[in-house]
Amino acid sequence: MGNGNLVFEIFSVAAALAIIAMLFLANYRSREPLAQEVVTSRGYALRRYWFWLVFAVAVASFALTVPYFPYPRAGASANAKHFSVVAQQYDFAVSGVIPRDVPVIFDVTSKDVNHGFGIYGPNGAIVGQVQAMPGYVNHLPMTFTVAGHYTIRCLEYCGIAHAAMQGGFEVR
Amino acid sequence: MSADVVNGRAGMRVMWTYIGTGLAIFSLMLLAGILLRAAQAGWLPVDPGTFYSILSLHGAGMIVAMAIAGLGTLWYLVRRETDLDERIAFLAYGFFVAGVISVIVSVFPGRYGSLWTMLYPLPFVGTYWPSWATGTWLVGNALVMLGFMLWCAQILGALLARYGGVRGMLAIDYVFRNRAFTDSGGKPPPPAMFAAAITAFDGFVTGTVGLVIGTALLVHWIDPSVAINPLWAKNLTYLFGHSIANLTMYMAVAGVYVGLPMCTKRAYHTSPQLAVAWWATLLFVIIAYFHHLYMDFAQMQWMQFVGEIASYFAAIPVVVVTVYGGVMLAHRSGMRWSLGSVFLYAGMIGWVVGGIGALLDATIPANVDLHNTLWVPGHFHTYLLEGVLLFTLGWVFVNLEQRADAVSSLLTRWLVGLGMFGGGALFLLPFYSAGAAGVPRRYAVEPPPGPFWASVATVGAIVFVAGFAICVIEGIRLTRLRKSEEAV
Repeated sequence: MGNGNLVFEIFSVAAALAIIAMLFLANYRSREPLAQEVVTSRGYALRRYWFWLVFAVAVASFALTVPYFPYPRAGASANAKHFSVVAQQYDFAVSGVIPRDVPVIFDVTSKDVNHGFGIYGPNGAIVGQVQAMPGYVNHLPMTFTVAGHYTIRCLEYCGIAHAAMQGGFEVR
Repeated sequence: MSADVVNGRAGMRVMWTYIGTGLAIFSLMLLAGILLRAAQAGWLPVDPGTFYSILSLHGAGMIVAMAIAGLGTLWYLVRRETDLDERIAFLAYGFFVAGVISVIVSVFPGRYGSLWTMLYPLPFVGTYWPSWATGTWLVGNALVMLGFMLWCAQILGALLARYGGVRGMLAIDYVFRNRAFTDSGGKPPPPAMFAAAITAFDGFVTGTVGLVIGTALLVHWIDPSVAINPLWAKNLTYLFGHSIANLTMYMAVAGVYVGLPMCTKRAYHTSPQLAVAWWATLLFVIIAYFHHLYMDFAQMQWMQFVGEIASYFAAIPVVVVTVYGGVMLAHRSGMRWSLGSVFLYAGMIGWVVGGIGALLDATIPANVDLHNTLWVPGHFHTYLLEGVLLFTLGWVFVNLEQRADAVSSLLTRWLVGLGMFGGGALFLLPFYSAGAAGVPRRYAVEPPPGPFWASVATVGAIVFVAGFAICVIEGIRLTRLRKSEEAV
């Protein structure tokens, strides 16, 4: 949460490396062409290692991120204080004040269509979000450590005034 | 005149009709996209209703455009391997055209504005467009799906007949009984046939799902007392929407399998690894959509876990087999860098870069920050503009260059490259930057820093269009060069 800039940096570095590597591997006009058999033989030998590297990165990324999934925490916060959120074209009905440094759970639903309950912190970054769906209640666990005004924005297209669908609350 | 020549001409007719139509729709949607970004930049006064109507058309139009072009290429390639009735391809094309007309009518004059992945009950609640426009939109979608499924049925039937059932089409014996299979003189299908088979199979599944949710919505449109479960509807909508968008890439990649060897004078062979990679793709295309519902905590939790790992694993066939194989083809091949080969190779780079953006978004803790922000259109615009489109153009230009026995001048290549890659980067990066800053997607009026990045993106898009226009003019020049030589 609030890690958008970090994700952007990871993306920039990874994308730049991929572009450079692929251009480097292709741009060999200055050197003598090789027979396809030679390239294939070397390439297939390397590919085995490449496969295991990509596979390991995929599995490791999954294992490392699982502890940060938002779902299990919804059950773990049984003693948290609950706050009801009802979304409706084009407004959010939510408590005006949320306590600071205390686990809370937003019980989020919608009266009409799908909406997105996106919470933006005082610094403008997203600190949490969940969908508001008619007929369902999504439980979003949060603990606010920074006091101030938090803005709610709709993060699921919901109609003509979607962009104007905002709300807010204070954390004290 | 030999049967081969007649058959070749049939394949060409279908392919160029499909690709021409796809690129024509793409060009119009490109202009619509610039209008949307310019409106978000505050440069054009567009009211929210008009904005969302055009956005609906833009999204549906781009997917259909790229799909039609890819289906044309695949039809031609399958036609080279086995018998296909041209009339069925044109019947499917008729469904596409009828569907596109219906969708256009729902927007102009209907003002439908619920987007192409409309989430029930949105198309029916709080609408600013007449009810008939919703019905026309749904009928249009259904017609496109019917055409798509007709295409899939024809290709699936032909491939099953040609390769002796599922075992042959998917090269199962070639993988598990490789020695016996090859010793007995067996040959697996060429790589492009895997792209065709998986497109047809997954396309049939996707089309069925699209028709199911589409029919449910139509029933609700006729009788509003018939309710639909919103979570069920969301799952089906994204299974359909994500899969068909994803499949456009796998359709277009067939052009790489055939076109890149034409440029490098090397062969792209089927290997057991390639076959297994396509089996994996067959599965992952269908289940990767789970990541669209990460922020629906009511969704069954196992689907969220599977969504992340499936999204990661979906990248393995791409970077370990297809792109890796493409790089091996080009590596020290002495390939001449014509527009065709540049597009095909650059398309692989765009695929990888868009894929990195997609994988980060598919990482659940990161998705909390990125879900439904501009990051999402960032990654799929990278896929479509610098991946699918480039593969399509690459395939077109490789064919035009070969027939004209000519390549574009260095100046033309530089101008097209600067426009489509430089302008493309300038257009795409703002999506990522704004998305990382939390700017929501699908906002007619964006909060800061959205308008600033939209301004940069609009300039980038205009530069891209300039490069694309030069590319189109160059394509016409090469076509005429061929015709004039044939006349002589």
